[in-house]
Order: sequence, then C-alpha cells, then structure tokens
Amino acid sequence: MRRLFMLGFLTVCISAPFAYGWASSAGTGPATIRITSREVSRMRMPVGAPGRIGDTEIVRQNVFNKRIKPAPIGQAEYLCTFLTSRMRSCNVTITLPQGRIVAGGTFGYLELYELAVLGGTRLYDNARGTLTVIQTTTKPRRQILVFRLTG
Amino acid sequence: MKSMSLSGRMIVASLALAVIVAGVFVVMIRAVAAVDEARTREAHSKDVTAATVGVEKLVGDLETGLRGLVLSGNERFLQPGERARKQLPGRLDELERLVSDDPSQRVRAQNLRSEVNAYINDYWKRLVQIARGDHPEAAGTPVALNEGKGRTDMIRGDFAQLLRAEDARAAASAESANTRSDRAVVLGIMGLIGCALLIILFGLYLARSTAEPVRAVATAASRVAAGDLSARLPEHGPGEVGELTVAFNRMAAELERNQLELEAQNEQLRDSERRKSELVRIVSHELRTPLASILGFTSLLLNREIPAGERRRYLEIIEVEGRRLSSLLSDFLDAERLEDGHLPLSRELIDMGRIVSDQARLFEGQSEDHRLDVKVDRMPLPVNGDPDRLAQVVGNLLSNAIKYSPEGGAIQVVAEQENGYVKVSVRDEGVGIAANLHDRVFAKFFRGDASESGIPGTGLGLTIARSVVEAHGGRMSFESDKGEGSVFWLELPVATS
Repeated sequence: MRRLFMLGFLTVCISAPFAYGWASSAGTGPATIRITSREVSRMRMPVGAPGRIGDTEIVRQNVFNKRIKPAPIGQAEYLCTFLTSRMRSCNVTITLPQGRIVAGGTFGYLELYELAVLGGTRLYDNARGTLTVIQTTTKPRRQILVFRLTG
Repeated sequence: MKSMSLSGRMIVASLALAVIVAGVFVVMIRAVAAVDEARTREAHSKDVTAATVGVEKLVGDLETGLRGLVLSGNERFLQPGERARKQLPGRLDELERLVSDDPSQRVRAQNLRSEVNAYINDYWKRLVQIARGDHPEAAGTPVALNEGKGRTDMIRGDFAQLLRAEDARAAASAESANTRSDRAVVLGIMGLIGCALLIILFGLYLARSTAEPVRAVATAASRVAAGDLSARLPEHGPGEVGELTVAFNRMAAELERNQLELEAQNEQLRDSERRKSELVRIVSHELRTPLASILGFTSLLLNREIPAGERRRYLEIIEVEGRRLSSLLSDFLDAERLEDGHLPLSRELIDMGRIVSDQARLFEGQSEDHRLDVKVDRMPLPVNGDPDRLAQVVGNLLSNAIKYSPEGGAIQVVAEQENGYVKVSVRDEGVGIAANLHDRVFAKFFRGDASESGIPGTGLGLTIARSVVEAHGGRMSFESDKGEGSVFWLELPVATS
C-alpha cells in the first residue's frame, strides 16, 4: 500500500509539469510555455461607430497541449475593443489547470501578435513576460501560444 | 641467487631486460594509440564542426529566404530557404549521429533539433503562410521580425554552445594525447636509460663472473701446459664457472696423478734396467769364475800329463764348479719363474725339524771356522709343503750365515713350534746389515756391500727364499745391525693333518 502511494505521488510529481504545458513556475524563474488553441466561438458586438471603432469582440478558445493529451487542458477568453478598423486592444485570460495567466495589449493583425503577460494566479502568481501568438489556420482558427516568462 | 647457475642468471637478466623493453614499448604504443585517438577525435570534431556549421548555414538560409519573401513579396527569394528546409532533417540526423558518442553533445544536438523544428513549424511556415495570405504586411511587423530574430538567436546560441563543447572536447583530447605523449617520451627515455644501465651492469657482471674466472682458468691451463701440474683454482663462482674450476682442478689433479704414476713407472723401468745391468754384471761375474776354473783345469788335463791323484783333484774341482754353475742357473731360473709367478710347488706333509737337521749336517763340513749349533725343539715339526724348496730355503739361510761371517764363529739354528707356527731361525755373528739397507734385503740382486767385500752370490737367494715361504702361507724376516751379526727367521703354519 505504501509502495503504491509512493508510486502515485512520484507519477503526479513527474507528470504535473507536462500536464500544465511546459509548466515551469513563473514564480521560480524564467520559462517558456508552448501551447495551442482552437477557437470555439467569436462574438462581436458593434456599437455602430464608423470604422467599427469601439466594437467589442469576445472570443473563446480551447487550449491544448497535444504532447501530453489530445483533450483541452484549459480555456482562453479574449475581450477586445477595436481602436481602429484594424487595431484592437485585448485582455486575455488563459485558464490552465494550475492557475490563470492574464495578458493584454494592442495588435493589428490576428496572424501574429504579441501581448504582455500581466500576471497570474496560483502557480503563475505575479508572472511577467511576453505572449506571442501565431495563427496557424483560419477555419477553424488555430493558434500557437508561446509564453516567455521572465519570472 | 647464490645457488643460481650462470645460465639461469643470464636468463633472469635477459628477462628483466625484455620486461623493461616490453614496458617501454607498451608505453610507447599506448602513447601512439593516444595520439592516434586524439587525431581521430580531432578529425571527428572537425566533422562535427563542419556538420554544425552546415546546419547553421541552412538555418541562415531559412531566415534569409523568409526575410527576402517578407520584405519583397517575391517567392524567388524563398527558394534557398525551401531547399534548406528540405535538407535540414537529414543534416540534423547526420549531426546527431556524429555526436552520438558524447551524451552531453547528443542532448545539445537534440535541443538544437527541437529549436530548429519549432522555428520551422511554429514560425517559419506560419510566416510564409502570412506573407502569402491576405495580410502579407503582418509578416513584416516588428513583432514578427523580432520573433524570428529571437528564435534564430536562440538557435545560434545552441550552435555556438555545441561548437564550443566540441572544441573543448577536441582540445581536451589533444591535451590528453600530448600529456600521454610527453609521459611516454619521458618513460621511454627512462626505460632506455634503465636498459642501458642494466646492460652495463650485466656486462660488468659477466666480465666479473665469467671473463675473470675464464682468464684465471686460461692462466692455470697455461701453467699446466708448461708443466706445472700443481696449478689449482679456487673452487667458487656462479654455477657453470664453479663447475669449470672444479673440473679444471680435477683434470689437473688427474694429470698430476698420471704424471706421478708415469714417473713411478719410469723409476721402475730405470730400476728394472739397473737390475738387468746388475744381473748381467752378476751373471757374467758369477759364471766367469766357475767357468774359468772349469776351463783352466780342463785345459790342464788335456794339455799336460797330470798324475792320477792330482788329476782326480782337478776333476773334483771341475765337478764342484759345474755344480755351482748349475745352482746359479737354477737360481736364475727360479727368479725368472718368480717374476712370472709360476714357481711350481709340491705339497706333502713333511717334518721341518728333519729338513733343518739334514741341511745343518750338509753345511757342517763346509767351513772349519764356523760352528753350527742346531736345536730342534721337538720332532716332528709338521708342515704341509714342498720338501725340496723348503730345504733350499733353509740351505740358503745357512749358506748366507756362513758367507757373511768371514771371521767364522757360531751359527745357531733353532727349529721350534709356537702359536700354531713352525719357526726356524738362523743366527750368525757376521758382518750384519746396516739399518738403511734393511728394506732392500729381500730385493732381487741386492747384495749390499757384499760385492765390495768379495763375498760371492747373486742376490737372488733371499728373494727366492721369502717367495717360497710366502707361497707356503708363511712369512720371513730378519733382525740385524751392522757388525752385530744377523738373525733370519721364517714361520710356516703347522700342518693340521
């Protein structure tokens, strides 16, 4: 019984970082996390201003780490406000098994953009760094999310 | 080591030399192998470096091609990148294969492959896609370019790390080879010096343990060759040298013994020659006297008219001298038989007392100046022997007693039995025998001073007498002093039946 418990504990300890997507604690030092996302829904709420300025867009995505398991490991929620017809200011919350990471910033193209990691909860408490998003497909929209945490 | 033979010591020394030389060769071979290994390692490092640089160039082609496409929108600029993308998997495989012998380098190569694959799949392909898509300007934004730069910088860092590690590894291998080579050279020099010292010591040892003893043997052999057979060597030295000295000494001793034997034989030959001369002289002298008498009286009888009485006396003289000649010839014949060991003896039970009495009676009338006192202890004195020969012996003793007592005197003859022997002694009061001549009295033809004194005889009588007595199992001896007379005696075993 004791051996089984030890085996289970070790299994959890070893597999946990992979299950959390290259999880190297933001609180423990620099780390790079690579995950993918698939868009689930996109909702746009126009305000009627010319050039769509002020429109709000809410995007929901499932987050994956295919190297660990095919099923989603979390969700990403975008809340964006259009600043021009192309530029938008977004606040993104990525929910992962061990906590949330919050990123935000402005960008003009969905194909490739960069956001600032503003913080996080639990494992990612006080996280800082950059989130680089690269779009891989449009239908459905898929992305690669690369977190480069500095601490 | 003391008991080890010379050949054993030479074998041990040769083995020691062989071990040192083999050790030096092993060190040299190991050094050469190390240098060869370092050279191989260096060549391998060059291969790794070339492969790494090749991969790095391909990554550079990827980046350049992508940048050309993004900045110009011209697909032609992407062609080098496309070629590089196709070549990269094979080149990365080759690189991993080359560094597979070094775990840390293998990890670096695997990381590099991951980085390159991530760059291609997560960035390069996406950016090409963006550049070809609806918003190609998105590919040229600073965000996109910085992302590419960051990734390629990271990959170049991996390249640099891998190259540095490979250089360090090659340098360490070369350093190790140099160290081994230097050590091998030092050990080789030390080994050669050791060999040289050992050879010198071995040579000195050989000179001392072999050459010197051999030289001593040669010197001693020269002395032997020169006739000094007393030359000997100290019997020591290692193994074969010791055996050589022992053998030499044995040879010299044998030669010396043989020479002594030869000298003794020569002496015997000389003595024999001398005795032969003596014999000739005695024979000629002893035969001439009676022959002269016989010839003289025969001539007188033939050439003159001799009165009958006188003639008879001449004839008696001729007979006596003839008998004397016959006796002389018998003595010579007996001496010859004794020489050959073929003196014939008959065996019968006889009374030695009677023989003594008869012989004494015969000699009683031969000299008016001598008086024979005969004392026979008892009758009979039984002896098993040859009566004629024993009578000859007793007669010889009586004759000698008379001849060697020129002044005359008493001659005591005693025959008695004691302790199982019949003893006969003849004592005279004659000239006696000097002590220095005692040991030669029974020698053939020895006559002492008799010749000078004019006493006739051949010097064979006592020789024959003692031989006859000894042939009967008895013994014969005498006691005498010069001027004090002599007593000769013989002992014969009493006959048991």
